[in-house]
Amino acid sequence: MKKSVIRSMLSATTCLAITAAAPVFAGEFDGVTIDAKLIGGQQYEALYALIADWEADTGATVNIISKKNHFELDREFKSDIAAGTTNWCVGSNHSSFAPQYPTLYTDLTDYMDAGELAGFIPAMIASSTIGGRLVMLPRAQFDVSVLYYQVSLYEDAANQAAYKAEFGVDLAPPDTLEEFKQQAIFFADPPNFYGTQFAGKDEGAAGRFYEMVVANGGTMFNEDFSPAFNSDAGRESLQWFVDLYEAGAVPPGTTSYLWDELGAGFASGTIGINLDWPGWSGYFNDPEASKAAGDVGIIVQPMGSAGVRTGWSGFHGFSVTEDCANKDAAASLVAFLTSEVSQISESAGGSLPTRTAVWDVVVAAAEGDEYRTMALNAFKEGATHAFAVPQTEYWIEATNLIFPELQAAILGDKSVDDALQDASDAVDEMMQENGVY
Amino acid sequence: MREETDMSLKKMPPWLLLILPALVILAAVVLIPLMFSLYSSFTSYRLTRPDTLFNWIGTFNYEKAVKSTVFWAAFGRTILFLTIALNLEMILGLGLALLVSRVTRGQRLLRTIMMFPMMFSPILVGFQFKFIFNDNVGLVNNALQSLGLNNSAIPWLVDEKLALFSIVFAEVWMSTSVFAILILAGLFSIPQDPQEAAKVDGCSPWQSFRHITLPFIMPFIFIAMAIRSLDVARAYDIVQIMTNGGPARRTEILWTLIGRTGYVDAKMGYANAMGYVSIIMAIFFTVYFFKKLNAARNELGMAN
Repeated sequence: MKKSVIRSMLSATTCLAITAAAPVFAGEFDGVTIDAKLIGGQQYEALYALIADWEADTGATVNIISKKNHFELDREFKSDIAAGTTNWCVGSNHSSFAPQYPTLYTDLTDYMDAGELAGFIPAMIASSTIGGRLVMLPRAQFDVSVLYYQVSLYEDAANQAAYKAEFGVDLAPPDTLEEFKQQAIFFADPPNFYGTQFAGKDEGAAGRFYEMVVANGGTMFNEDFSPAFNSDAGRESLQWFVDLYEAGAVPPGTTSYLWDELGAGFASGTIGINLDWPGWSGYFNDPEASKAAGDVGIIVQPMGSAGVRTGWSGFHGFSVTEDCANKDAAASLVAFLTSEVSQISESAGGSLPTRTAVWDVVVAAAEGDEYRTMALNAFKEGATHAFAVPQTEYWIEATNLIFPELQAAILGDKSVDDALQDASDAVDEMMQENGVY
Repeated sequence: MREETDMSLKKMPPWLLLILPALVILAAVVLIPLMFSLYSSFTSYRLTRPDTLFNWIGTFNYEKAVKSTVFWAAFGRTILFLTIALNLEMILGLGLALLVSRVTRGQRLLRTIMMFPMMFSPILVGFQFKFIFNDNVGLVNNALQSLGLNNSAIPWLVDEKLALFSIVFAEVWMSTSVFAILILAGLFSIPQDPQEAAKVDGCSPWQSFRHITLPFIMPFIFIAMAIRSLDVARAYDIVQIMTNGGPARRTEILWTLIGRTGYVDAKMGYANAMGYVSIIMAIFFTVYFFKKLNAARNELGMAN
């Protein structure tokens, strides 16, 4: 049923998508071969099956010369830049990684008409524009974290009574970070059950801290990219993590967890509330894979003390290299992979689109599926609060300086003040060394 | 032109002509990359900005490394890790070799089984022990809790000492058999006469081990030590997967620090400078073990 709805949506929007996309003439790129380096993985593959349609339409051939995850691709791109072997044409990109390659990719504005770009959610195009250059076009792989929770915890009469007695308010899924912390500590019963968990290392830890800082009214960097997180908002944010850890509300190993461990943790049924990405929604409610299946609630992410909701977000996309021999053909392929037709097809797998019109199609397709509808409503609202990482090519390097200091405070090796001061000094030195200011 | 080339080749002494291919290959795969990395350590070379390769900054990277507490902490931790892991592997390998050498039936099968851990990729070993030592869903904590031996989640990969223990455990599991195989080869090469003479003279098993077996296998132990001290950097994958140097740099060793600086932060110039400073350690261990090896050979009258 769902498939037939999607199929009819696809056919209904095909004409629209083809006329909206950059014009493609049959056989326009006869004999052209486009070398591509694309992200691999089950959730990304369905889209690549459509490439054959573009090849048939244009006469060009796509040669996928590398298919890896983004961290491996990142290393490969850096090696390519170093070796000067950047004459392949189309590369997968990600909003968090894109600022690191200032010279690798071309400005796509010259290859797209304004009408085509207007179909994307404006914030995505803004995040894809680095230094005034549109370096990527977003595909239907948008990520913003929303709040997953175990419904039964909130429906349990004993929990409701105990919570009311302790805090004087009714027990309901949290709408603020303060409530989130309070409830996580309330639900915790270590080592059998934990209130929550968080990404504790790498960009994951720094990213979570970043969105808390914004939600609490602060900012990571000043306009000149000097560090600005050693502030009241920064202290409030880091203290939030420290309090949860000290109270035993999170697994003691959370400082070494990243997305896979966090996903497995919530699916194990031992975590009460969990800020996590859209890609997990199907998995969490799959009885084969998750002990929490049938008991999962999803709502918009909570807000900080400044009344702003967390919303560190990212999205995947495609870029065209500056050294590509046939940029017109490469840009045509990128336009095709990010078109409405492609996005409808890709988001049928559960990922989130980056085009306004495709959202309506996805919501309509989910009609009758209560869980999917709840998830989509949460993601749709969550997306309105989304913000990308700061647009500096030194973001990843900065996160590598910040996260060990956050860990030091969380584990009690340093005070919150010392950790933020040390992180700020290290980032300041790095930015100055790189000649940023 | 061709005649000139032929003439110049003929003028070359035959020994040089014979080793020329080897020299060319060595230059291509060792010398040139080594010189390139040495040069780049004096530049602000970033992988993502190839033009920075020509930005000469003198000894800035070296000064930065020498003044960095993070670098020296990782340096010290690496020496600690090497010392504990190598000694444990040696002792356990020696024990294993002595036990296996006593076995009269099925020894070949045992030797093959003993080599299994060496066949695993270090990345797989890292994932395996990361799961085993996971605090929430890991095998060790679940076993301890199910057996009623412990009622809390032990943070194996978080606590500084436990994390070091966990990494050393994984490394020892993977590499003890290298020592065992090399020492076993040493045990097989021991002449039987001194052993039999010791028995006739009434030596206890400990005395014959301490004064006859051990001196004979010491050269093998030091060769194994020298090889392993250089080869132990393979443990990078294990550490990278299990803790990636964290949390809070508690398990940061030189390899994770240099790897992250070079490939994730793209600061190849600085990473190379740290690499060259840390070569001091590799040279120290190699010289130390070779001195010990020579001393052991002298004791056996095998010098020169």
